[in-house]
Amino acid sequence: MRIAMADGSRIGVIAVDNTFVDIGDLLQPYDPLGPEDLLPDLITHFPELRDTLSHRVATGGGVPLEGVRLRSPVVRPSKIVCLIGNYREGTDRPPQILDFFFKSPEGIVGPGDTVVLPPHPATIFHHEAEIAVIVGREAKSLSADEAMDAVFGYTVFNDVSARGLGRSGINSFLGKSFDTFAAFGPWIVTADEIADPYALHITVEVNGERRQDYWTSDMERPIAELMTAISAVTTLHPGDVICCGTNHQGLGAMQDGDEVVTAISGIGAFTLHVRDEQRRVWPRGIDRQTAERVRAAGLRPSQ
Amino acid sequence: MRLVLSRDDRIGVLRDGGFVDVSAAFADIRYRTAADRMPRVIATLAERRAQVEELAASSQPEPVPPLQAPVPRPPKLIAAFANYREGANRERQPQDLFLESPDSVIGPGGTVVLPPHQATIFHHEAELALIIGARAKDLPADERALAALAGYSCAIDVSARGLGRMPPSRMGKSFDTFTPLGPAVVTTDEVPDPQALRVQLSVSGELRQDYSTRDMEYSVVEILAFASSYMTLVPGDVILCGTNHQGLGALQDGDAVQMSIERVGELSVTVRDPLRRTWPRGIDEEMAARHRGAHA
Repeated sequence: MRIAMADGSRIGVIAVDNTFVDIGDLLQPYDPLGPEDLLPDLITHFPELRDTLSHRVATGGGVPLEGVRLRSPVVRPSKIVCLIGNYREGTDRPPQILDFFFKSPEGIVGPGDTVVLPPHPATIFHHEAEIAVIVGREAKSLSADEAMDAVFGYTVFNDVSARGLGRSGINSFLGKSFDTFAAFGPWIVTADEIADPYALHITVEVNGERRQDYWTSDMERPIAELMTAISAVTTLHPGDVICCGTNHQGLGAMQDGDEVVTAISGIGAFTLHVRDEQRRVWPRGIDRQTAERVRAAGLRPSQ
Repeated sequence: MRLVLSRDDRIGVLRDGGFVDVSAAFADIRYRTAADRMPRVIATLAERRAQVEELAASSQPEPVPPLQAPVPRPPKLIAAFANYREGANRERQPQDLFLESPDSVIGPGGTVVLPPHQATIFHHEAELALIIGARAKDLPADERALAALAGYSCAIDVSARGLGRMPPSRMGKSFDTFTPLGPAVVTTDEVPDPQALRVQLSVSGELRQDYSTRDMEYSVVEILAFASSYMTLVPGDVILCGTNHQGLGALQDGDAVQMSIERVGELSVTVRDPLRRTWPRGIDEEMAARHRGAHA
């Protein structure tokens, strides 16, 4: 099932005829305080709503997707957790030590939105396409066996990243927390529809030029292990977002006027626009230097 | 004014050594949990100030009940990396911040639970906490930035060292229970100069940290300006101003930790380690020397 937010505060499912079917009425009994409660409520009560939802998906009768403005499918998660370099990237090295950071939820934008580059003197602004997990229940210290039960679904995430800011050698990852830098959508595909999350093709195209182009089969540590390790540290809540890391072979600059399409097979695709008041210019194409560095050494303190 | 939240979810003001229930001033605010209630309450604090003070003055204080953190789960928990000169005569380092898990917050009287992870040590870091009161982006680095503040509080940024891929460990600061916060949101008018506050932390009666916020590399208004140049700040956000590493030491099973900030308050927690690991008591002089020198 595909779950989407539209026009700011409407929640719906994408029906078989590719229409948006509003399901807000089904959530009113749970007394949401605002649009940010809709998805967590849906996730929490999904088992009892499932039959009704399935019926609506099958019957269609919604608004054609051209007639709605899709938004980020999670309005305000309690946290966005991002894995640090979690792909083999064509090497046969052993998995690196698992590590992660938190990204500002104020940075959320969705399909058709604009990433605004700040005036800060970053060396470059990269796109990082990632598969993201949407957490399905409150979870702490998940065991390996139960970890996948805490996955509600998956979405397409672009972890926009400013490089070269902050204090050298300490890796604050603050350059990933600018407003508009947490882009995801176009919807959430529930876990039951993704038979194998390690057989998905992730791509980024900037102005029609293919940049990132990799398969989730290259992931170093599987999703269950990520869920276990993160929940060993912090409590997860329904609707929290876990970004599984990117493959750095294919990163490139995002700059003023760019149109960026991020896609994952079996999930979906969405478009971002880029605006830079300063109209800085970087070379087009793939950032080979970053690709080579990460392939050679993994993701190390120098980033 | 000192705004607190009791464990039985009453909003109160601390006055004359006691607690006055002022929940009535916020009765119209809908909420589900204390986590989503307090940011909403704090967002209205400026405009309801007179009403809250009137309520606080109109009743006799009761003994202070057990409290939870004044923001049990902030929308964002932002922390400064090492932000003190630490007695060294050096250029200040480039400014930087990072995000911690908002689920790491606990309140006064709470228990820091050390996880089984193989950290090299678990340190206490006493810090001045800023509580955001209004949505803010691109604040100026001067007095005007203080208008975005609801007030100040005490925080301990408990830190597991040696975990993750890249030191310093960010993950090691995000464990559940690793950010004791409170007891109150102390409004800015009670703290005329946030750069002249004595911060102290004792472990089981032994004084460890004892420093002044005068030694900060980047001041409160500079931190507010810097953070808001990256991300929108929202009511209830908490920013930790960093610690002075001269005086850090191990936290271990059974420790009673008490911190205080002049004019801001006192915060006490205990420590539990199911594995009962032991570290040397006293100040971690090696960490202190490292931070006086090259710096991290």
